[in-house]
Amino acid sequence: MKTLKEKTGPYLYLVPCLLIFGIFLFYPFFKTIYLSLFKTNKMGQAKLFVGLGNYIDLLKSPSFYNSLSVTVIFVVIVVVGSMLIGLVGAVLCNKAFPGIRIFSTAYALPMAIASSSAAMIFKIILHPSVGIMNKILGVSINWVSDPRYALVCVAVLTAWLNSGINFLYFSAGLGNIDESIYERASVDGASSVQQFFSLTLPGLSPIMFYTLVVNIIQAFQSFGQVKILTQGGPGESTNLMVYSIYRDAFFNYRFGSAAAQSVVLFLIVMVLTLVMFKLEKKGVKY
Amino acid sequence: MSTLALHDVCKIYPGHHFAVKNFNLEVKDGEFIIFVGPSGCGKSTTLRMIAGLEEISRGELWIDGELMNYVEPRERNLSMVFQNYALYPNMTVYKNLAYSLKIRKVPKTQIDKRVHTVAKILEIEHLLDRYPNALSGGQKQRVAIGSAIIRNPKMFLMDEPLSNLDAKLRAQMRVELGKLHNELGATIIYVTHDQTEAMTLGTRIVVMKEGVIQQVDTPQMLYNHPVNKFVAGFIGSPAMNFLTADVYEFRENQEAQALFKKHGYYKRKVIMGIRPEDIYTNEDLEDHPEVEAGKPVAVQITAREMLGVEVMLYFELDGNQFCARTSPKNEYQIGHIRNLYFDRRKIHFFDPDTEEALS
Repeated sequence: MKTLKEKTGPYLYLVPCLLIFGIFLFYPFFKTIYLSLFKTNKMGQAKLFVGLGNYIDLLKSPSFYNSLSVTVIFVVIVVVGSMLIGLVGAVLCNKAFPGIRIFSTAYALPMAIASSSAAMIFKIILHPSVGIMNKILGVSINWVSDPRYALVCVAVLTAWLNSGINFLYFSAGLGNIDESIYERASVDGASSVQQFFSLTLPGLSPIMFYTLVVNIIQAFQSFGQVKILTQGGPGESTNLMVYSIYRDAFFNYRFGSAAAQSVVLFLIVMVLTLVMFKLEKKGVKY
Repeated sequence: MSTLALHDVCKIYPGHHFAVKNFNLEVKDGEFIIFVGPSGCGKSTTLRMIAGLEEISRGELWIDGELMNYVEPRERNLSMVFQNYALYPNMTVYKNLAYSLKIRKVPKTQIDKRVHTVAKILEIEHLLDRYPNALSGGQKQRVAIGSAIIRNPKMFLMDEPLSNLDAKLRAQMRVELGKLHNELGATIIYVTHDQTEAMTLGTRIVVMKEGVIQQVDTPQMLYNHPVNKFVAGFIGSPAMNFLTADVYEFRENQEAQALFKKHGYYKRKVIMGIRPEDIYTNEDLEDHPEVEAGKPVAVQITAREMLGVEVMLYFELDGNQFCARTSPKNEYQIGHIRNLYFDRRKIHFFDPDTEEALS
């Protein structure tokens, strides 16, 4: 017979971790689901049970569909952009030449920059009258206040910010590819472009998949740069879901609706992740 | 068809360190050339310079009368088998074999035919759908060789292709490589540190030491007429026995006497070398009437190794470890003092300073 000590011991080890998860993850998560079923007062306290009312309101609201489509466009630009920058940087820095560390640091640097400070810098760069962007391009565009450009600006900024960690992932992935297969390929007659597509990309596919999942989740959660650069405007052209949740909760004091949007966002990210894990088995070869 | 010439090829690393020094070699079509030597002797570096994977620091490399120093590896039309096989992990065996044809835009039907022909030769037809990580060492080896022979390159370069295999498989693959060379009639340059591979496969062997060629010759010539002590000790297994001797008179061997006279070695030291197989016991002498046995040497046996077909006897002579390869007829045991006979015709002499063979 096991003693009580032996039975409870393993669980005791789990307590610290579960405690932190419980306070910062599980409790807010279930509280959000709970709140999404209520109308709240300005303090965020659940007052009136409306069941799925908040969700139904959401599905009827054109603003919600707008923020949904804006988010999708944003995520696509960010994920494609940040992975491309990271990949190109990693491939370029995979060769040995003098000063390579300076370049590696430069490509990895965005990782260390806070999104809000990057947004501040971009705000100055993109400023219509004193910004360097207009000076270089010789145009006078009000980048962040023009609905045509605002979303792209925020997305490109985010892509650049996220590219740092991708650079690291891809560099690590490239380091794992056996050098001698490139030697064999070059003796076999493959050009460097052929080597990139037939060896490097497949060699990166396991890490590529992981990076894709992380990037998509990260892109959905972008907030700081929107808050500082555009505040969701002009109009609602950069009103991403996370920003819309923030606005609903802390400007309009509609915590119930904000909670419902949070739940929808959670479902979207979860379904996407599950789908990708299903697809992984087909895409990743070895 | 395809010839190779290396003129004074050097590989110099920073700090004026010569990894390969003044390498000169002419390879004729259809030769099976072996680069052999201890590790770090520059044999792989030379091979990689031929392939174009290493830059040639100095000297010239000619293939088929064309200067190749600055030609990209992919344009040299060679194929190479690597020590670790270097199979593409993301491709099946089929695609691994087909890769070099595919990038040359060979029609699919033709690729398919070639792949199956090669797979049949190497008996890997049942593995075509597998990925490299699902293959054993020997199977990977076959795939690597298969993808080298699938097209008709000017030359095959092989960098210790058998070194990762176990002894039995290595012997088997060695035989098959020899067969393959006969069938293809191709020029092969083969790097190994295993002198059995070198002796059995090579039409000519290049023995290297510290980046410098010691001798280029047929296996037979290397074995019978090594140019220096290093080659003599490196070729042959177990290795040749060496002994430093004073020359004062050598009446019984006219040939040696003439040699010493010519080089003025009287009353000086020479290094004497004799292969284990040229040392005979009393029992063995009866079966070998052709041996010119000198005076018997009484030695104390320090070890005896029974290998079935032969017996290795170990003994000490003047502080040098000696080994004799004898027939299992004798019953000599450890501690016995017995007479052994050296075949006088097979004794080699080397200068003690330069270690060059006297001839």
